[in-house]
Amino acid sequence: MVEKYSIRTEDLDLHYDAFKALSNVNIQIPEKTITAFIGPSGCGKTTLLKCFNRMNDLIANCRITGKIYVRDIDIHSDIDVNALRRDVGMVFQKPNVFPMSVRDNVTFGPITHGVKKKSDLDKIVYESLHNAGLWNEVKDRLNKSALGLSGGQQQRLCIARALAVSPDILLMDEPTSALDPISSGKIEDLCDELKSRYTIVIVTHNMQQAIRISDYTAFFLLGEMLEFGETEEVFSNPKNKKCENYITGRFG
Amino acid sequence: MHIQKKHTKEKFFKALFGATAILTILEVASIIVFMLYGAVPALQKIGFLNFIFGSEWNSSNYDTYTGPMEGLYGIMPMIVGSLFATAGAVLVGGTIGFFSAVFLAEFCPKKLKKVLSHSINLLSGIPSVVYGFFGMKVLLPLLGVFSENGDGAGILSVSLVLGIMITPTVTALSKTSIEAVDRSFFEGAVALGARKERAVFKVIIPAGKSGIFASLILGIGRAIGETMAVVMVAGNNPIFPSGIFASFRTLTTNIVLEMSYGGELQTGALIASGAVLTFFILATNICFGLIRNSGSRFKGKKSSLATLATSYTSTDFTEATKAEGLLDLQTTDGELQNSQTFNNNFLVTSKKTDKASLIGKHMGTVSTIIACVSLFSIIIFILVNGLPYITSELLFGEFSYAGTPSIASSIVSTLMVIVLGSVVAFPLGIAAAIFLAEYANKNGKMCKIIRLMSETLGGIPSIVYGLFGLLFFCNILKMGTSILAGGLTLSLMIVSTTIRGTEEALLMVNDSLREASYALGAGKFRTIRKVVIPNALPGIFATIILGISRMVSESAPVLFTMGASIKPMPTGFKSSGATLAVALYALGREWMHINESYATACVLIILVLILNIASAMIASKFTKRLTCTT
Ligand SMILES: Nc1ncnc2c1ncn2[C@@H]1O[C@H](COP(=O)(O)OP(=O)(O)OP(=O)(O)O)[C@@H](O)[C@H]1O
Ligand SMILES: [Mg+2]
Repeated sequence: MVEKYSIRTEDLDLHYDAFKALSNVNIQIPEKTITAFIGPSGCGKTTLLKCFNRMNDLIANCRITGKIYVRDIDIHSDIDVNALRRDVGMVFQKPNVFPMSVRDNVTFGPITHGVKKKSDLDKIVYESLHNAGLWNEVKDRLNKSALGLSGGQQQRLCIARALAVSPDILLMDEPTSALDPISSGKIEDLCDELKSRYTIVIVTHNMQQAIRISDYTAFFLLGEMLEFGETEEVFSNPKNKKCENYITGRFG
Repeated sequence: MHIQKKHTKEKFFKALFGATAILTILEVASIIVFMLYGAVPALQKIGFLNFIFGSEWNSSNYDTYTGPMEGLYGIMPMIVGSLFATAGAVLVGGTIGFFSAVFLAEFCPKKLKKVLSHSINLLSGIPSVVYGFFGMKVLLPLLGVFSENGDGAGILSVSLVLGIMITPTVTALSKTSIEAVDRSFFEGAVALGARKERAVFKVIIPAGKSGIFASLILGIGRAIGETMAVVMVAGNNPIFPSGIFASFRTLTTNIVLEMSYGGELQTGALIASGAVLTFFILATNICFGLIRNSGSRFKGKKSSLATLATSYTSTDFTEATKAEGLLDLQTTDGELQNSQTFNNNFLVTSKKTDKASLIGKHMGTVSTIIACVSLFSIIIFILVNGLPYITSELLFGEFSYAGTPSIASSIVSTLMVIVLGSVVAFPLGIAAAIFLAEYANKNGKMCKIIRLMSETLGGIPSIVYGLFGLLFFCNILKMGTSILAGGLTLSLMIVSTTIRGTEEALLMVNDSLREASYALGAGKFRTIRKVVIPNALPGIFATIILGISRMVSESAPVLFTMGASIKPMPTGFKSSGATLAVALYALGREWMHINESYATACVLIILVLILNIASAMIASKFTKRLTCTT
């Protein structure tokens, strides 16, 4: 069987003004898997992640060369970037719920993309919150402000919010780094469940987390991808010396 | 997946917001064009040098641009008057304001500090006619005792009134810049063994001096542009001021005194003096901008110093600060050379009293007391004298030219002006701010030009808006003296503050919320409408309320465009009438209805205080909520 790739890059370079933040990245992320990005702080993990849904468009001094394909479509060709971002969801490091009700947080995306009927929206609210493992905790307070939720709940609400627009791909930038271990665990379990339906790319500083949840792992250093492969292989038998040093905790 | 389509809606909204922003450029341009259009023919006739350096002003209503010229149009006495009045105001208000700021920022007990800071902020919104009125009714008779001719009007009374008027502004801004100084400076100095007051005066204040200067310059701008408070206490003879009790005019009061009955050439000359005034104010504003920029450069230096202060040993810090020319540690220095062991030395130093700094500290306490006593006594005096006379007859009574005055028509006129001004100014200002904060490239030329224009608009004195409104709305657009013309003039005046306030509110919205919205595929306009604006709403409300409060307080712009006397109840936007502030001016200048004047001043103060308190409360809730979000 030919493997299908959700995301593919070809000779991707990225500059912030004169500073080269990514150089010559060639990565192929298979469909319906979890891929972890690891590497020391400042190596360009977030930068690469934001390339995939063109969030870097918002940064004025950012220049990209090379190709990025999402499901074989060149995302720098003449496409609707808002539709791209609907199909490639994103969860950020710090939970950034909108200061609205829980329900409005979830329906923000679907309404943006034209869902109008209340029954449809209700269904989306239920399914997204359910899939994010949050339904039971918030079903009685859907119309209360989302700011009243705990940090872990807020982050799962952010995931629910991302799921509500039914993306194919979910980008997560250190989604658990601001959370306590129990909340982190819940999110890891959630990722595992979501894997059957979504392609997930997750940035993490936590090696154990990468080993626990990911199928593939990519190691970055100074803007270059030095290693990419199946997670077990990368952690048990890294080909790159620097990658080995990082994993075993000798620098970073 | 269907990601192949494009939106044109986004472009439309960008263009729409951009267009409103460009209106600010248009506004500045038309004010400048109008100034030149009005001033140049008059200057040609009078002669530029005769106009600026002429020492006599004796205008004649019959002079035209063509015929022979009977009057004399030299504004030097007024320029000198303006400079003296401003210098006096800064001497009084700057000194009191600066030392009060030092006290509040550094020496004031915490609880007291909160109360005092809030009340001083509130008092900066008190309409200037109220200050003028108080000066006229209380200060002039008081000063008259010391004056040879028995009349208290003159430079001294103007300086006192303007000085007290600008004190809250100077205090609030200086306090902010003192508090913004890096605390490690203070710690560094105290670690060297300096006493607290020495650390404050020798280290903290020099480090915050750019901000303190800026606050003084802002005070200068307010004093030089002030009209109504001055006209009530200056005596108003168009001659060089010859002593502290000599009657004189400033550039602003000259305009307000003669404009309403000016002949052709006279009007032109008054517009030209408006141009001179604007030039002075823009020059001070440019200074303000330069100082602010040098302040930010200074900050860079500051942070490197701060690292020095924390990472070096105390000796090195002394050297470093000395090298930066910040510290004047002569005493320490002298003793350093006498002995080898530092610790003993600093103990010696700390026991020595630094007289200048100690005096400074006491000045702070005294100034704060003076500021509070004078500000509160103005308010309390007016409330005590006015509250008993706020009767239903005054507020709702039928208008009559002869009997006891009723301000019912003024209340209605004020409301109508507020509605009209709001409808025009707020949508425009908010849309322009959205463009600046959300769409424009922050470092782009366009954005810089618009911001410069908006700041220029903020600097133009209110009397010049009045001139512009009179000639443009009343005369050229044939609106006559009407509520319509007054409302439009006020709306032009508050556009710039609306832009600034809204922009600040928008920029306070956390970027992560914008990111989250974009990441869900929401477009720019939807993100702004659904995420950014709802979050900035309280800040925008606070801005709107402040704008309304300004429309209530200002009198110079509406004096020309709406009429200077209390009229019967307006029947529509075409009617003329006095706003409350103008009504106070009109009533206050006659001795006949003294009680009603006090009562009107009360109504005005209460209204403005309510608006300012509301604005402050909304703004502080807003800040709290935003800090919760992150
Ligand atoms: N907007 C920007 N302008 C200029 N340089 C930037 C910008 N954003 C990131 N960088 C630089 O690009 C490099 C990569 O940043 P990035 O945020 O992608 O790192 P990261 O691997 O996600 O690090 P972390 O683990 O700390 O999140 C860093 O050196 C960073 O300083
Ligand atoms: Mg990162």
